Amino acid sequence: MLFNSLDFAIFLPIVFILYWFVANKNLKLQNFLIVAASYLFYGWWDWRFLSLILFSTLVDFMVGKKLRSEENQLKRKVLLWTSVLVNLGFLGFFKYYNFFLDNFITAFSFFGQDIQANSLNIILPVGISFYTFQTLSYTIDVYKRKLEPTKDFIAFSSFVSFFPQLVAGPIERATNLLPQFYTKRHFDYSKAVDGIYLIIWGLFKKIVIADSCAIYTNEIFSKYETMNSLSLLMGAIYFAFQIYGDFSGYSDIAIGISKLFGIHLKRNFAFPYFSRDIAEFWRRWHISLSTWFRDYLYIPLGGSKVSKLLSFRNILIIFLVSGFWHGANWTFIIWGILNALYFIPLFLTNKNRNNLDIVSKGKIFPSFYELISMTTTFFLVIMGWIFFRADSVSIAIHYIKKLFSFNFEYGLQYLSIERYTPELMILILCFVIVEWNSRENEHPFFGKWLNFKLILTLIGLIALGVYSNVNDFIYFQF
Amino acid sequence: MKQFIKYIILISTLTIALQYLCDFMYTQVYLNSTPRNKLQYILNTKNKSFDIVFMGSSRVANHVDTKLFDSLSNKKTINLGVEGAGLNDNLLQLKLLIANNTISNVFLQIDSNYEYDSPSNIAISEAMPFLNYNSIINSHIKKYFSNSKKLEYLPFYRYAINDPKIGFRELCFSIANKKPRTNPSIGFTPKFGNTLPLNESSLPKTIKLKNIILDEITDICRKNKIQLTLYISPYCSKTKKMKYIEKLITKVPNLIDLSKGYDDKLFFNCGHLNNQGAKIFTTNLHNITKNKKVNH
Repeated sequence: MLFNSLDFAIFLPIVFILYWFVANKNLKLQNFLIVAASYLFYGWWDWRFLSLILFSTLVDFMVGKKLRSEENQLKRKVLLWTSVLVNLGFLGFFKYYNFFLDNFITAFSFFGQDIQANSLNIILPVGISFYTFQTLSYTIDVYKRKLEPTKDFIAFSSFVSFFPQLVAGPIERATNLLPQFYTKRHFDYSKAVDGIYLIIWGLFKKIVIADSCAIYTNEIFSKYETMNSLSLLMGAIYFAFQIYGDFSGYSDIAIGISKLFGIHLKRNFAFPYFSRDIAEFWRRWHISLSTWFRDYLYIPLGGSKVSKLLSFRNILIIFLVSGFWHGANWTFIIWGILNALYFIPLFLTNKNRNNLDIVSKGKIFPSFYELISMTTTFFLVIMGWIFFRADSVSIAIHYIKKLFSFNFEYGLQYLSIERYTPELMILILCFVIVEWNSRENEHPFFGKWLNFKLILTLIGLIALGVYSNVNDFIYFQF
Repeated sequence: MKQFIKYIILISTLTIALQYLCDFMYTQVYLNSTPRNKLQYILNTKNKSFDIVFMGSSRVANHVDTKLFDSLSNKKTINLGVEGAGLNDNLLQLKLLIANNTISNVFLQIDSNYEYDSPSNIAISEAMPFLNYNSIINSHIKKYFSNSKKLEYLPFYRYAINDPKIGFRELCFSIANKKPRTNPSIGFTPKFGNTLPLNESSLPKTIKLKNIILDEITDICRKNKIQLTLYISPYCSKTKKMKYIEKLITKVPNLIDLSKGYDDKLFFNCGHLNNQGAKIFTTNLHNITKNKKVNH
């Protein structure tokens, strides 16, 4: 069920009404409804994979319970690794089996050994990378005694399968989300209205910005060989806004829906394209994943509190794993490495925590230096996005080579979809201005022009939205 | 909660009101603007007489140079080929054209479009603004569209799902009275160069038993004493499953086969000739059909 589908438009009000008018009498009923709605939401896509979520939930619930009573350190470790292996085992099989197989075959054939092995026709269960990481965070936190294990299976199931963030995050921590299922939720008007604002703004980002950019991006990337440098640059910029609109739009909708149910989710994006360096970008982009890797991988490896060489290794590992998390393709791995290469010079010169505040806070315009820093960071980011978007590493390299051939013949090219790029540029420019003005808030609906902004956004959604070609959210595939 | 429900009702009402407002505004602009596409042109054309009307997809729009054909034949012609159009779209064009004009001959392109009875959203979207103002369009859409009720009654739905053709961008161009890239009164849209690699294309493996839309077009032509000429446009040498053409010829009597004999250099891509190819094709089409009995 997509957030931008008719099915969901019917599903959400029904669940909302049941939640606040029928299940509001007690906590158990509220949680039970959340689980039932979440399983229906997920099963709508493919009911067979509900067994995976259920199994993962059962394993981590049992492991958590055992960890409560177990004092033997070795046995505790065995329990932790049981959970890690089960969760990562599912993820590895469904997401990476064919990738590893293909690469082993290629590697062996390189050394003259031919291996006969058939790749499997595996369907990737939607959201598996998200919910496995979420449930893993519970077991690790319980193991580290940062969190008291739960005895309430329904509350734990609600935490694992909570439908607004089940398939594409934000990846919630048990320490934040799980306790919210221990107490009965009470309706809060201002939070619910704020949720509506986030849903509207998220839909705008997805349907107007991301899906408009997708039309152009797909056209330019599929015909990159015939495109000049200017069109290729625009293709990379459009993809940057497509993936941002798509993923941050999804996160906004997820956070907004959660607010309607009295649940608070953590912020996942904080205007990443206004970052002044790549370290700031990673503090503002897909925050729930970056902090997950920081807390459960980078810090356990020693983080920055080890020698420079080991810190260097740790940085490389988290960016590499982050790239690999996105998909079983070398393009994502190169994307991860490239970002590590951007980050390491900042780290070595102790400049990676220079920009912790909001850029130009309280000012209308950025300073010249800030503008240059933001533009440079954005340029580095879009170079990475080319690898992220391309079908293969060789295509990405060819794309970049053509981009830097500085061929500006024909200017901005007509695309075969009968579209010409200036209209989209104007739309993106307006979007950037709105985002810039909202950068100290979560969404643009604040201040005395609130109603006017809301009406304009609704008109934008109606008139500028792409409804002829409904696209899945990009991050569903991860 | 009461306050929130009131708020949701307000937002929903506002959204629906805005949809009605946008629908009304878009419709008025398209009803009153200078034609920017071929369907609008047909609707605005009254009491005219055409010797030959070329109909089909982009393989007509890009292939038939009407000015050249006019000079060779000394006849008044129009190219109504539309990118992405199928026979169902051509049927609607024909119904609209004969409602207010006189036609002597229709040259209809037949190839893999024989496989499809249903309308293509690409071409038919140009008719959507006139849905509630033109009875021919209304009954055609009711007959062939499963979502006709939504198109007719859901405010702005018809514009939303057809945004590439009649969306905000086209609205702005219509308001600004911007000249279209193709003059709809001529209709020829040449493609230039041979820049794209000649990708392989393929025709269908099997052929449909019959095409009810082609039968309907044939019936209309017969009833209105219009001479109908059916022909196949050229394909490049890399086209696979060319045996389909043989099957098509057995299905459609008197089908003129012009699918082969064109150098690959004359193609923009495998299914579309370039400007140079279009001139040669138009001359050939004229030569082949000039001795055929053509209504005057």
